[in-house]
Amino acid sequence: MTAAPAGTATAGGAPLTAAQSGMWYAQALDPDSPAQNTAECVEIHGTLDPARFAEALHRTVGETDALRVRIEDTPAGPRQFALEIEPSGHGFPMHAADLRDQGDPDAVARAWMRDDLADPFDLATGPLFRHALFRVGERRWLWYQRVHHIVLDGFGYALVARRVAEVYSALAAGEEAGPSPFGRLAELVAEDAAYRAGEAYEKDRAHWSDTFADRPDVPTLAGRGALPSRTFLRRTSTLGTDVRDRIETLAGAVRATWPEVLIATQALYVARATGSAEVVLGLPMMGRLGSAALRIPGMVMNVLPLRLTVTPQATFAELTRQVVLGIRAARRHQRYRYEDIRRDLGLLGERRALTGPLVNVMPFDYALDFAGAPCTAHNLSAGPVDDLTVNIYDRGDGGGLRIDHDGNPALYTARELAAHQDRFLDLLDRIAAADPHAPLAVHGIATAAERHLVLTEFNDTARAVPATTLIGPVEAQAIRTPDAPALVHGDLTLSYAQLTGRANRLARHLATLGVRPGAVVAVALPRSADLVIALLAVLKAGGAYLPLDPDHPADRLVGMVEDAAPVCVLTDVAGRLPETGPPTVVLDGLDLSAHLDITPPRALTPRHPAYVIYTSGSTGRPKGVVVPHAAIDNRLRWMQAAYPLTAGDRVLQKTPAGFDVSVWEFFWPLREGATLVVAEPGGHKDPAYLARTIREQAVTTCHFVPSMLQVFLAEPDAARCTGLRRVFCSGEALARETAQDFARVLPGVPLHNLYGPTEAAVDVTYHACRPGEDGPVPIGRPVWNTRLYVLDAALQPCPPGIPGELYLAGPQLATAYLGRPGLTATRFVADPYGAPGTRMYRTGDLARWTADGEVEYLGRTDHQVKLRGLRIELGEIEAALAAAPAVTGACVLVREDRPGDQRLVGYVTAAHPAPAPDPEELRTRLAATLPDYMVPGAVLVLDDFPLSPNGKLDRGALPAPTAVTGDRAPRTHQEETLARLFADALGLPSVGVDDGFFDLGGTSLLAARLVARVRDALGTDLTIGTLFQAPTPAALATKLGAGTGSADDALGVLLPLRPHGDRTPLFVLHPAGGISWCYSGLLAHLDAHQPVHGLQARGLVHDEPLPATLEEMAADYAGQLRRVQPHGPYRLLGWSVGGVLAHTVAVLLQEAGERVELLAMLDAYPSDQWRDQAVPGETDALTALLRMAGFDRTDELTREDVLGTLQREGSALAGLSERTLSAVVDIVVNNARLMRAHHHRVFDGEVLFFTAAAPRAEDWLTHEAWTPYVSGALRAHEIDCLHPQMTQAPHLDTIAAVLAARLKELDG
Amino acid sequence: MALTLQQIRADVAETLGEDPADIPDDENLVDYGLDSIRIMSLIGRWRRDHGIETTFVDLAERPAIDAWAALLGVAP
Repeated sequence: MTAAPAGTATAGGAPLTAAQSGMWYAQALDPDSPAQNTAECVEIHGTLDPARFAEALHRTVGETDALRVRIEDTPAGPRQFALEIEPSGHGFPMHAADLRDQGDPDAVARAWMRDDLADPFDLATGPLFRHALFRVGERRWLWYQRVHHIVLDGFGYALVARRVAEVYSALAAGEEAGPSPFGRLAELVAEDAAYRAGEAYEKDRAHWSDTFADRPDVPTLAGRGALPSRTFLRRTSTLGTDVRDRIETLAGAVRATWPEVLIATQALYVARATGSAEVVLGLPMMGRLGSAALRIPGMVMNVLPLRLTVTPQATFAELTRQVVLGIRAARRHQRYRYEDIRRDLGLLGERRALTGPLVNVMPFDYALDFAGAPCTAHNLSAGPVDDLTVNIYDRGDGGGLRIDHDGNPALYTARELAAHQDRFLDLLDRIAAADPHAPLAVHGIATAAERHLVLTEFNDTARAVPATTLIGPVEAQAIRTPDAPALVHGDLTLSYAQLTGRANRLARHLATLGVRPGAVVAVALPRSADLVIALLAVLKAGGAYLPLDPDHPADRLVGMVEDAAPVCVLTDVAGRLPETGPPTVVLDGLDLSAHLDITPPRALTPRHPAYVIYTSGSTGRPKGVVVPHAAIDNRLRWMQAAYPLTAGDRVLQKTPAGFDVSVWEFFWPLREGATLVVAEPGGHKDPAYLARTIREQAVTTCHFVPSMLQVFLAEPDAARCTGLRRVFCSGEALARETAQDFARVLPGVPLHNLYGPTEAAVDVTYHACRPGEDGPVPIGRPVWNTRLYVLDAALQPCPPGIPGELYLAGPQLATAYLGRPGLTATRFVADPYGAPGTRMYRTGDLARWTADGEVEYLGRTDHQVKLRGLRIELGEIEAALAAAPAVTGACVLVREDRPGDQRLVGYVTAAHPAPAPDPEELRTRLAATLPDYMVPGAVLVLDDFPLSPNGKLDRGALPAPTAVTGDRAPRTHQEETLARLFADALGLPSVGVDDGFFDLGGTSLLAARLVARVRDALGTDLTIGTLFQAPTPAALATKLGAGTGSADDALGVLLPLRPHGDRTPLFVLHPAGGISWCYSGLLAHLDAHQPVHGLQARGLVHDEPLPATLEEMAADYAGQLRRVQPHGPYRLLGWSVGGVLAHTVAVLLQEAGERVELLAMLDAYPSDQWRDQAVPGETDALTALLRMAGFDRTDELTREDVLGTLQREGSALAGLSERTLSAVVDIVVNNARLMRAHHHRVFDGEVLFFTAAAPRAEDWLTHEAWTPYVSGALRAHEIDCLHPQMTQAPHLDTIAAVLAARLKELDG
Repeated sequence: MALTLQQIRADVAETLGEDPADIPDDENLVDYGLDSIRIMSLIGRWRRDHGIETTFVDLAERPAIDAWAALLGVAP
């Protein structure tokens, strides 16, 4: 058969219709993808003549010119060309097989189809369809057809199948089949062209642009997007005719059709499953009504977005009406292409979706027969699945509705897909049985089994507990073990009898002031034994304590006192707090000897308040949470059962009393006979102090906020805290990386993740971290007598895996917000799943159940922000940042540093010692996965996140991206080092010597890290207090006594870069200019106990003769370094001329019988290589001077120019006096001369060599030139930089890392 | 009972959930919410109530009341 031109009269073929173009571009994105294969299998029941079938098929295909094309990309764009189709048996793409002799003919056929379906068509060659006919039984046949979606849609399939059956039946009856009912492809092309040239096109475009002008977020069930996959997952169910009938009845009752009921149901499901009232579904439309396309088997269908608002208050009837009207509005503009809407809205470039899940209703009549043999049709593939598509088939064959949930395997597992389908069908069933005029709130999306699971089974926590108080068990313990150590603070140890005795006297004193059950007493004491005594005393008197953290701003504390109106304020010294209304009880000097040391009488019940802790309110005004004894008693009884403490345990009290974690730290050990170890005030922020205390005090149990745990784990001594038996985390999300780091640093020590708001007595969930687990760390299961609810917007329970808001119920709930009944009523609401009259607390936290009953924390429900009208989930950006290599933590916020100037700023912390991530690279990386408006304008790399006094991330303290820094240059190497350390700690590119650490966003935690770094780098003992007194690099340098006076102090022959430490010292020899400050960047990367001494040229400070030979200079230096270290083994390093000097010194030391265990050279080359080069003059000397400071010389002509550059670039060398600068120039010239005259002898050993590997003019320089002068190996490392850049970050960091590793080997 | 123009309009209006008076005879019913499901329900109804045999494609090709009246041989 020769094909007539397929509606494509010209030799150049026909253009594609807009519908085809969409498919063509989708295929062009992934040419080898079979995703655009569509396929159906028609099962024929009865007698069939395969030859006649083939004839009928061939004739039908011959009538269908839209099918018979191939599509080629031409310079004018893709065009379709008619394709010649051979008869059956002569090349017609038809496979026939009789499978009756196979064991399982259907399985064999299905396997063949599956294989075939995975085979992509070649658009350019065609044909774009393929058939098969399998005989699978005496009277059963399977007709398989696969067609590329670009030439046929679902309606077209039905047309083809009907015509094949018709022709077959006619042939079987010996009749002619009658004329072809089909229209031509040319009509489709013409109709499409006419539409696109007409008025309607513009009107339709305006309609869609208006409707989606705000570019709404489209929630999806997976909660994320993915690139199209080549395959899809499918879950199939059938809705029986009875359910279908009920749905039709319901549809009639709400004046809709059954597909509209299904669409409304899916909208409700998506809204609840995503927690979004706004839903956009995609509706595939056949697009043929009123069109010639009704008679053309081709590709016409379109997908249109349907925007719906689903609230719990609306009824199902109202929702369905919204669907009806929405579809009606869409249908009026249905010819406008889905692809064009996305393009118009600018969604294409951002790879944003226009719609969420698709609901594809295909009511295409398949009630056909082959000469009396009836058939049933089954879809095998309905085309590409971007996210999730619900295909609903009504074949009109009496078989009910078939429902396929097709999912993108990159987004859904088979299990998730099945769960979505099961719930959808269950919801449909319940909706069909319910009153359509009842609020949608009555419907949840969980199935009955899932409801039982999440409400009952996961919350099976009932446990009988005695009616006791927080303090009662402490008093009972004191009677049991009066002599056991109860409290240790520094050198002070108090036994249980001593501790309770002192607390009892104070309690009796408080009682005289009116403290009794129900009364509040403020306690404003720094962490100390007295603080513990004060808390015990308040409780013993029957009162509730209100902790006031002396580190908090006074205004805030005063506000709390005014709000809580305590009976009195307990404090250590007078004047700690401004005068407020209540009387102050000053413990310092208070004589309590008149009071008995036995427990005072009081009428305390478990319902009385035990403590009042203030938490920050979203409105900015702190609110006091009143926690009753029964609540905290339940919490502590659970904790003791879960993690039994014994008399041998020692619990570290380091959490500030204003943070409720401190409650268990204070009282749990005292209730159980263990020992409370009280940390120093402020100690909770100092990782080195904590590690030392944990070891020295044999602490077995302690708590960290996750961000502080990360800091602690970076402390070298953390690994030595092996006496720990359990560590608890809570307060913020515990990153898996932190848990993994913990398992590495402290293997064998259990790490427990706890979760709970202050409003529910510290913690309500628990999870034991296990090494080897991945994914987010769950917050875990509910504690005793506690129920967790993950609820949707209608307060219906979310099934496992579906995010919702976390609600808490049970005896651990707080009584109220103090004096805030309105606020209390909005956060503590009636528990719909508890006994009548019980309450639940609304956390504002987003969470979901795992399949096995643990809860995962997903963030805050209020983290969503809007920036310039765009809805942004900061968590999404944070997750993207955190996924970058070397990033250990990420935070994103919207800053408004200047009024009206809102912008996204990202903050990351980096893994050490990996090179810090480059902010620009991070932004590029984000831009690859996030829409432009979600890519932060700036990303700052921080050493640590700033923490609030309670140890939570303090967003308010994150630095603004452009800190204004001063421009005075450092005068000394100490200043330069300090300025660099400041900048590192603050995550800024540079810091001026007069810039205040705290002014630039420094926090006390950052300060702790900075102090540690300074200690490591300069070897000087420094406290945080010193930093507070001297917060600038210049002031701190002065304070350290290292930088007083002029720079001259740092110009001696011996420069103690880090004078102290127990390792073998490293001597670094100066480069050409004679100054060794350039090596200070090494310090931060070498072991803190590694001393480093510089050797510098003579003549920098005083007039003295310059050495006459390199040998003489080296001998001088050898003598100098022997003053520091009389005998070997020696460690030497030098850059440039310094490397040549190091070699010479090493040879001299060896000749003197000493051992040299390290000789490291940074881009230094032996004399031989320089001998023939001209001796440099002043101009070369100036070049060398710039190089010492790390710059290439460009247009500096004079000494003044050079000084200007040094000052501008903030080099410490800028502080040199005129005299010294002159000396430097002389020294450079002299050194160049000496080096050319020198003759090397052989160094016996290996050399660690660093080559500046970037291309350079002196391409003849090679480390191989050292071979004659080194007996051992030359271990060369290439550093990707030029010679002058070698002592600059990040190149020096790389060198330092290699060097540190080598030094560590040498240290053994 | 023979199908009349008024009956066509009444049936169409009912399936669209609209008032018959709001459905003009010569307008494209797609703009009023007509879809394939509703066409098929009309085919079923007219077959059942009036013994009229017509096909989906016939009705869908020109979706307007006057066009249908002509197609189904109903007097205007």
